[in-house]
Amino acid sequence: MAQLLDEIEWGEPILPTTADPAWEAEVRRRVGRVGEIDKRVAANRWVRQACVDVTSLRPSQIPPRLFNIALLVTAQENSCRYCYGAIRASMKISGYSEAFIRQIERDADLAGLDARDRAFTEFCRNLARARPRPAKQAFENLVQLGFPNAMATEIAFAIAMGCFYNRIGVLTACPPERGFERFANGPLGRAIGTVAPLVRPLTTLRWRATPPATQPTAELVSGPFGRVVATLTELPPAAQMMKAALDGAFDSPVLSHAVKALMFAVVGRSLDCSYSEGEARRLLESDCLESAEVDSAISSLTSTRLSAEESRLLPWVRDTVHYQTAPIQNRTRAIAAELGGSMALEAIGVAALANATVRLAMLLQ
Amino acid sequence: MSGLAATAVAVGSIALAGAYLALRRFRQLDRLLADSKSQLEHLQRQFERFVPGDVVEQLTDQHAAFRPQRLRATMLFADLRDFTALCDHLDASLTVTMLNGYFERMSQAIADHHGHLTEVVGDGLLALFGAVEPNPWQGRDAVLAALAMRAALSEYNAQLRVRALPELRFGIGIHSGEVVCGVMGAGELCKFGVTGDPINVASRVEGLTREHGVDLLITEEIRRMLEDGFRLRPMPPSHVKGKVDAVQTYYVEGLEPLTAERQASRRTGAEPVTGRETG
Repeated sequence: MAQLLDEIEWGEPILPTTADPAWEAEVRRRVGRVGEIDKRVAANRWVRQACVDVTSLRPSQIPPRLFNIALLVTAQENSCRYCYGAIRASMKISGYSEAFIRQIERDADLAGLDARDRAFTEFCRNLARARPRPAKQAFENLVQLGFPNAMATEIAFAIAMGCFYNRIGVLTACPPERGFERFANGPLGRAIGTVAPLVRPLTTLRWRATPPATQPTAELVSGPFGRVVATLTELPPAAQMMKAALDGAFDSPVLSHAVKALMFAVVGRSLDCSYSEGEARRLLESDCLESAEVDSAISSLTSTRLSAEESRLLPWVRDTVHYQTAPIQNRTRAIAAELGGSMALEAIGVAALANATVRLAMLLQ
Repeated sequence: MSGLAATAVAVGSIALAGAYLALRRFRQLDRLLADSKSQLEHLQRQFERFVPGDVVEQLTDQHAAFRPQRLRATMLFADLRDFTALCDHLDASLTVTMLNGYFERMSQAIADHHGHLTEVVGDGLLALFGAVEPNPWQGRDAVLAALAMRAALSEYNAQLRVRALPELRFGIGIHSGEVVCGVMGAGELCKFGVTGDPINVASRVEGLTREHGVDLLITEEIRRMLEDGFRLRPMPPSHVKGKVDAVQTYYVEGLEPLTAERQASRRTGAEPVTGRETG
């Protein structure tokens, strides 16, 4: 059952903050402020880049209102106290009433939404939850309800990247942005929230879905999970973001290439996504793993090709697909103690990215 | 002019009062809605004590009823040995306390390995793996859960010994196969459960633990689902009620470290692909 903000159990931070003034300046330039998550992922180049890419993501096809609802519902489904609190606060200072937010988070059916919005919210919850895993049909239903293909794709991408960011938050047990939450609920935040609805029609008027574009597909499909990236060709910034994260993850030398591909395979198997498992197997060919070895590794969740530390990541990544916050944070803490900060950070990034990628890939089938 | 102003003020006041009343009414309704929702959530949580949480989620989802399904699931039966006889000598509240302590530990071991405690009958329990949600590792999970149950029982017995209470012993049978799962029953007495021949086999296999004098038996179907790392000992095939052919079972001794040599020999097909037999 999706939990409300105050019901989420949240442990002490698992990863320390890393000071990197140059990177922090870059984050400030792109998103205005350095968040708690940015400080905790700063030690890993691709993870920190992916996190900033997600926070600076601006929808080009979905109206801001639906985008906010998608992020709220996804954070709630993933029980990410950090993201849930931050999105809630952000919505409040954007002028969304407490009643509206509460209706969305408590039950979409009671939220006074029309059929189209309800179907949209349900799609968000189902894809984020993946229990049972949605299939291509769910995506097609969204298109049939009048969401153009590019818009439906952007919705799926926003949820997938929400799943990525939520897992970074959960698996690092990132401390919530309490200052920002207090501000949003304080007098100044409430004042801004009161004025915001007056300004919102102007911003909504200014918002126009930009025409979908296309990028050369050959370039996009060349890297890991290229078919998933290729589905985003109508949304060039999204495609670039996804490709950069996937290329960055698989090029990084912190964890072995084999364990990363196996982690994707395990998430793929968990969510019954044959494309993801197949693609992971293709990537494992470059590690000279025979098919029988891959079978054995996936079904036993261990492999003699991996170090003892890396072997621990396979059963752990399986538990990042569906989890309860306190137990998964406890397990991640134990793994971080054994692996050390830099390997643990990359493992968290890979687990988060695998969950995002496979959720998008599920819609291919 | 002053009359016009007075009218405007009056209309404004009425509009303001109307808006105020509407807002107050809206807030009342909102509070009512929130209270009802909280009550429903509380009920849902209470309900989850009796039925797996995922099933409750599906049952309470207004768009989807829990549809019966035919699927492959793994069943784990556990039964306490001679507990009924023990009950005759123990104080009733002590019996219940001991039993609850046992179920609490077993339930945790099952949940830690992706299983769902589905039924408790007397001193017996049934746990399902892969019935509530798909689980490609269900056989492995069930055996690991059983090993965790064995360890938890041993720990619990140490506590019982300290309190000068009798120790508990159990038998566990694990089997896998295609079953029908759904919410079954009549009228107000319904429960989530599974039905099909494999569930009978699992129950019979649990019964075989007495015959073989061991605490944990798995069937050939489960053995095929296991990788290296499990120490298994084949038992003599036994006939069970309702089955024409004798059932081959394996005693699970425990876990052993996976070695590179074994991986290599397995790749060349020098030994069985799944599970390792000893003895």
